[in-house]
Amino acid sequence: MDIITIHNLKKYFGTGSRQVKALDGISLSIEKGKFTAIIGASGSGKTTLMNTVGGLYRPTEGEVFVDGIRLAELSEEQLTIFRRRKVGYIFQDYNLIPELTVRENILFPLMLDNSRPDEIFFREITGLLRLDGKLSQFPYMLSGGGQQCAAIARAMITKPSILLADEPTGSLDAKTSQNVAGLLKTTAEAFHQTLLMITHNTELAQLADRVIKLQDGHIIL
Amino acid sequence: MKRAKTGLFPPKTLLSAASLMIFSAVLWDCLPPAGIRAMLLIGGIAILLLTSFRNRCRKKQETDFANDVCETIDALMSGRGPENYIPYEDTQISKVQGKLLQYYEFMQAGQRQSRQDKQTLQELISDISHQVKTPLANIRMFTDILGQRPLTDEKRTEFLAAMTIQVNKLDFLMQSLIKMSRLETGTFTLHPETAGLYHTIARAVNGIWANAARKDISLEVECDSQITVRHDTKWTAEALGNLLDNAVKYTPEGGKIRVCVRPWQFYTRIDISDTGIGIAAEHYHDVFQRFYRAREAASVEGIGLGLYLARSIISLQKGYISVQSEHGKGSVFSVFLPN
Repeated sequence: MDIITIHNLKKYFGTGSRQVKALDGISLSIEKGKFTAIIGASGSGKTTLMNTVGGLYRPTEGEVFVDGIRLAELSEEQLTIFRRRKVGYIFQDYNLIPELTVRENILFPLMLDNSRPDEIFFREITGLLRLDGKLSQFPYMLSGGGQQCAAIARAMITKPSILLADEPTGSLDAKTSQNVAGLLKTTAEAFHQTLLMITHNTELAQLADRVIKLQDGHIIL
Repeated sequence: MKRAKTGLFPPKTLLSAASLMIFSAVLWDCLPPAGIRAMLLIGGIAILLLTSFRNRCRKKQETDFANDVCETIDALMSGRGPENYIPYEDTQISKVQGKLLQYYEFMQAGQRQSRQDKQTLQELISDISHQVKTPLANIRMFTDILGQRPLTDEKRTEFLAAMTIQVNKLDFLMQSLIKMSRLETGTFTLHPETAGLYHTIARAVNGIWANAARKDISLEVECDSQITVRHDTKWTAEALGNLLDNAVKYTPEGGKIRVCVRPWQFYTRIDISDTGIGIAAEHYHDVFQRFYRAREAASVEGIGLGLYLARSIISLQKGYISVQSEHGKGSVFSVFLPN
């Protein structure tokens, strides 16, 4: 079953001679519970595609359906709630809050939604991501890999429908990248989580169930 | 779990209203201006009425909420979406409905998986019958020849040897299928223990050493005997053995196979590299599929279960396998076992 369906998606920035066609007529479907990697050179439209799926950008043309909902139908307020409840983001630079402990950082999205944490799920996820024992530490006390693991746990704590990872290993060395990507893959698999990951690293991309290659706003693979 | 208070007049409200009235009554004679007395009375009654109205509203909200939840559950039980569902609204009911839908979808996914499993089983039976057909036909042919025609001892030995090959093939197929079936149906459990990888690799290498020697393939293992990782030694040796067996099969005579173990932060990485025919990048995923045989591998004996089994065994231990290859130059299969 498809969780993301995109029909003829176009996203243009600017107008006239300065117009940039970031996405130029993309159609694709992403199966629920699968790990999809998006590869392509800088400026190929990877991040624009991910941000459109995540409801951060409105398409210039075309349709994006996530979990059966047409994103164009949602108001800005609804899109905010959609992102809070349905999308888990993992960024290259972790974006952890330095003043909060690892545990507080992970539970932060639930606090925003006034939801109570599922303690069993919390323990499972932090265990899989090797964070038990580090929960009362502050982000700066963790290695880059550890911080990204905390960011992965934070993204997954709300049990989102889709997990969007934008170059999650971009700030890590080759060895740690493979480590973190492995943990991301195995954790997502353990919870049947749909994962969409942007990467430049073809070795990491082949951990995915499916690889999509973008070039100049078009899918070429 | 906290229960919502559903009483029409919560005790605190009644108490404050009563206090107000008593206060008014006590002061009735002490406050000569009728205006103040009236004001107090009206104020008291107004507070009472407002509290009552607010409680009624709250009760109605709770009833509406419960009804909406029940309607959603009823709709989902009948296999349709809830009619009153406004997705991504910042309300409690939208939040609960969203969760209920997520739960429903989760259950549906389970049912879909069950249907898919049945289909997989049918495909598996079809695959098995296809795999068994050829060796069985060959055995039947050799039996007919041996039984019906007078043959020289030399020919008879030749046919018997050919039959033995087919029987071995059937036996290998049966063994692989049993392992696959046990893995897929979960009728066996892994017994992970913290053990040295060196011995597990040695066990795997033992199984392919003779075949490698026959093809004059050099085998090199780089593994510190101190490296330990939590794994099921028997099944991990089986997985590594399958990867090594593949490497031997697809590496030409005089080639080289190297096993290299490196402990990482979260995983221990075992690289098995060969100088074989390699795999085209578009087939990296295919090689792990059940019964997949690359076109280039048609001349090499095999049934396409080795890599599938290896991946299943490693995945069950929360690890994973990746592959990097250069077509015509060789492949590196990397096994990542969690530390």
